[in-house]
Amino acid sequence: MKRESNVRYILRLSLTLLVITSVMAALLAGVNAVTAPIIAAQTAEKTRQAIAEVLPGVTGYSQIDFTDDTGLVTRVYRETLSSGGNRYAVEVAPAGFGGSITMMVGVDTDGSVLGVRVIDHSETAGLGAVAAADSAAGQAFRDGFLGQTGSVAVTKDGGTVDAITGATVTSRAVCQGVNAALACAAGLS
Amino acid sequence: MNFRKQFTEGLLTRNPVTVQLLGMCSTLAITTRLFNGLGMGLAVTVILICSNVMISALRRVIPSQIRIAAYIVIIAGFVTIVDLLLQAYLPELSESLGVFIPLIVVNCIILGRAEAFASKNGVLASAVDGLCQGIGYTAALTITCVIRELLGAGTFGGGLLNHGEGIRILPEGLAAMQFVMPVGGFLTLGFVIAGSQWLMKHRNSRKEGKQA
Amino acid sequence: MNGYVQSLLGILLSAVLTENFILVKFYGICPFMGVSKKIDTALGMGMAVTFVMALASAACWAVNVLLVRLGLEYMQTVAFILVIASIVQVVEMFLKKSVPALYKALGIFLPLITTNCAVLGVALVNVQKGYDFLRSVVNGAAGGLGFLLAIVLFASLRERVDRSDCPECFKGFPITLIAAGLLALAFMGFSGLKIF
Repeated sequence: MKRESNVRYILRLSLTLLVITSVMAALLAGVNAVTAPIIAAQTAEKTRQAIAEVLPGVTGYSQIDFTDDTGLVTRVYRETLSSGGNRYAVEVAPAGFGGSITMMVGVDTDGSVLGVRVIDHSETAGLGAVAAADSAAGQAFRDGFLGQTGSVAVTKDGGTVDAITGATVTSRAVCQGVNAALACAAGLS
Repeated sequence: MNFRKQFTEGLLTRNPVTVQLLGMCSTLAITTRLFNGLGMGLAVTVILICSNVMISALRRVIPSQIRIAAYIVIIAGFVTIVDLLLQAYLPELSESLGVFIPLIVVNCIILGRAEAFASKNGVLASAVDGLCQGIGYTAALTITCVIRELLGAGTFGGGLLNHGEGIRILPEGLAAMQFVMPVGGFLTLGFVIAGSQWLMKHRNSRKEGKQA
Repeated sequence: MNGYVQSLLGILLSAVLTENFILVKFYGICPFMGVSKKIDTALGMGMAVTFVMALASAACWAVNVLLVRLGLEYMQTVAFILVIASIVQVVEMFLKKSVPALYKALGIFLPLITTNCAVLGVALVNVQKGYDFLRSVVNGAAGGLGFLLAIVLFASLRERVDRSDCPECFKGFPITLIAAGLLALAFMGFSGLKIF
């Protein structure tokens, strides 16, 4: 007798929990059905903007598979020009001062840097964050990469890129990201 | 039901942050600018009201042995709903709060109110309790944000006013960026709680003075 | 392969020092403040958290693979918290039955771990960063070790802070927070640290 009521009791517990979970799951599924397309559209729009900034005058692109030895490359987009060449927008995430820096690097048909844009970062405001800022200093820093090929480095390490004042670690990280992007794009074309 | 009493409790004498010391993680992590504090406060308030109402409505149905598990499922559900809505309609806020939105699930304020209040009181009282505690949480967050933003970046209303840049109050060179870094979080909250302890003592001694 | 091992070491180093879960990322502040009055309890809590975090990282990784396959990514938070709660329950029952000595040491901390945001936090971050199985587990274990380091250091600080004199309204929690702030300041010195 006691055993039976025990079983019934456990059954009641599990059933209650199951009902609550199902109700919440149904609620979530409903909200997700509404929000999912909006979120997807936003992500696509953000990517489009980033690509448009590093590949000037881009018209169409597609995400492609890639090989990468550095572990920094997260996504690669290819634009095939009507003239025949391929341009690439490579998303890389090197480790900066305060965490990883997600950035998009545009690579021209001849394998040179077309543009650099920092999408997301947690660098120090006023120092490392300059790399992403719209300010003159930020623009100057990113312009330092334009046209570079092969491998880039800050002047301190014997390269040609002027590091951001007081943010050598961030500047080096951006260089590392650009190098990974260039190497990845070189492997593709 | 005593709305005024619940309100003072939430805002001051039983404030979830400064007195009950709950939900410290988010309080410390995201209070770097006004927008974050208000947004987080609002998100927590909405979730708190929803979960309080639902748990209170189900309080006679849920067997006590599995109540914590049931509460967690309900809370996690509402948190995810708010998370999805923010991602869709306020992507900027969602991005700047990041993983701390889903982490509201383990914010002890919500589970704490479910266990201490909603599981014992009626639906309406629980909704009011959620609202009051939420306001108290938002107030503590906002004050911490304002102080940290002012001292750390020299601005007011970052993310909200002046195209998201905030209104500059201190000249650029004067702001100590340590205040928007982890250190500043601990220090500022320490001072905010000390301030609220002082305020309460002051209030009590004034009350005693009146009686004497 | 070499690069892979390096990335594992990088995760380890950053989770313990440069991106310390408590002092830099602010995950798990509640137990950090609550269970740091004595060094030995802090040690017990730290070990329990490390163990659960490594286990939860592994389990949540598997659950996430399943969720992605089913297209139910939006159920992540709900699924993870349930997995964590069950892991904590199972670990508690297992220890009670088979390793009573360890249960005596860690037992009282286990229920508290379910609502430790470091555990859910590490599971969510693993997914966000797209870590594979091994990286997830390393990140979980290292995050736990970072928690252990911070809480033990802090407990030894606190034993002194609690006995010292300070203004009335700072007594108790505020002065503890300020002490934690100073410890965080020390950890700031690690930021930017890189071996490779």
